[in-house]
Amino acid sequence: MSEFLELLSYPFVIRALIAGSLISVCAAVIGVILVLKHYSLIGHGLSEVGFASLSIAAFLNLPYMLVSIPLMILSAFGILFVSQKYKAGGDNAIAIASSGALAAGILINSFNNTGSNIFSYLFGSVLAMSEFDFMLAIILSLSILGIFIIFYNRIFLITYNEEYARSLGINTTFYSGIISILTAFIVVIGMRITGTLLISGIIILPAICARNFNGGFLKLIIISGVIAFLTFIAGIILSLMFNTPSGAAIILVNIILLIIIKIIRP
Amino acid sequence: MNNFLSLKNITVIYSDFKALDNISFSMNAGELVFVIGANGSGKSTFIKVIAGLRNIKSGEIIRPSKISYVPQIETADRDFPANVFEIVMTGLQRRNKLFYSHDDKNKAMKIISALGLNDFIKRRLNTLSGGQFRRVLLARALCGEPELLLLDEPCAGLDTKSHRDFYDILAEINSKGTAIIIVTHDRGDFDDIKYNRIVEISNGRIFEHERIS
Repeated sequence: MSEFLELLSYPFVIRALIAGSLISVCAAVIGVILVLKHYSLIGHGLSEVGFASLSIAAFLNLPYMLVSIPLMILSAFGILFVSQKYKAGGDNAIAIASSGALAAGILINSFNNTGSNIFSYLFGSVLAMSEFDFMLAIILSLSILGIFIIFYNRIFLITYNEEYARSLGINTTFYSGIISILTAFIVVIGMRITGTLLISGIIILPAICARNFNGGFLKLIIISGVIAFLTFIAGIILSLMFNTPSGAAIILVNIILLIIIKIIRP
Repeated sequence: MNNFLSLKNITVIYSDFKALDNISFSMNAGELVFVIGANGSGKSTFIKVIAGLRNIKSGEIIRPSKISYVPQIETADRDFPANVFEIVMTGLQRRNKLFYSHDDKNKAMKIISALGLNDFIKRRLNTLSGGQFRRVLLARALCGEPELLLLDEPCAGLDTKSHRDFYDILAEINSKGTAIIIVTHDRGDFDDIKYNRIVEISNGRIFEHERIS
């Protein structure tokens, strides 16, 4: 424990804890919506788009965010709208986007020798966050929370029942678009914590854990956020103690918590 | 054309199937109309057209500005992790309004209380009985202060007492001037409430069945 406290004196650890906590909480909040709308795998699909963005950015020598943010938003829109238009098309849309993006990423990489940089994004490392990543994570996290709070009532309504929302004259397409943008943002910044391979875990696992508790929708959102924060901190402590990748540790803590909750509240 | 609610030569097509085939229908303010028909006859499409939830291929509609629609209950709705108060409050959402005011909350509480739901406001939907859940959906609809209330199979699956209680509430709402259209497949419903007319939808066409003057 004293070793952990000593680590807190390093600015990079403090940065990782602040940004990581914020990202985890945001991911868990958006995760509740995605789980309830049966889009649990969208994070996974978008992370493959993240991998393709990374390959394109490396190939063209452009900043990663410049490529990934618009590509992610476009893909999130595409997936959500295909799901909406062809009711059972969500899984197919995610499968097409993820396999297509992965294939494109691999092909582009084969022309470009940037393996090590991309490898770091596959597994992520919140402790290796640069100052720029940190600032971006803070700005995007606060934007996600702000947008979520402003549109909370609408997001709740759209998540609950889109047809009913339309009967009230609400523009459901617009709000589905907002959910797409928030999802894209969270995948972009979440990839820094867990990497593309595990991003969907930090989005959906806290929400799945929280679903086992009673109470209303707001309570579910709050419990999901609290679980995300606690599992993030626990995962970071474990990864520092045992010198393991932080993303994997966070995901495993979530899985263990889910098993415990299922045993206590079957 | 009647200027409360009027549908003229409405046709709705799904792919190559005519769900509604050139139907015309009108009703006056304050009326109560039953719509009956077999499964797949087009009666849910009919009510959704009035609610503005289905695009029409051709025809003309005049409808009141304040319509509340109570859909058929789907299991997914009941499993949604929300409490009664959160669901009733959604009835107050409008296109240009993002937040609820203090008055909105008072109004919702008044309706919740009038429908006998006070003890359930913090309860999750899946802990309610069928009758209680129906009242939640009705409370939500009433929050919009509708001139026309549309109900799709509102009493399906309810026991006799809940069924009668629900219709007593509807009768009271109707007596205060709210027009109501009830879609049902259960002809037994006609005995539970005073109505003006029954129309039948069959193969996408509408037939005037009975008119009580």
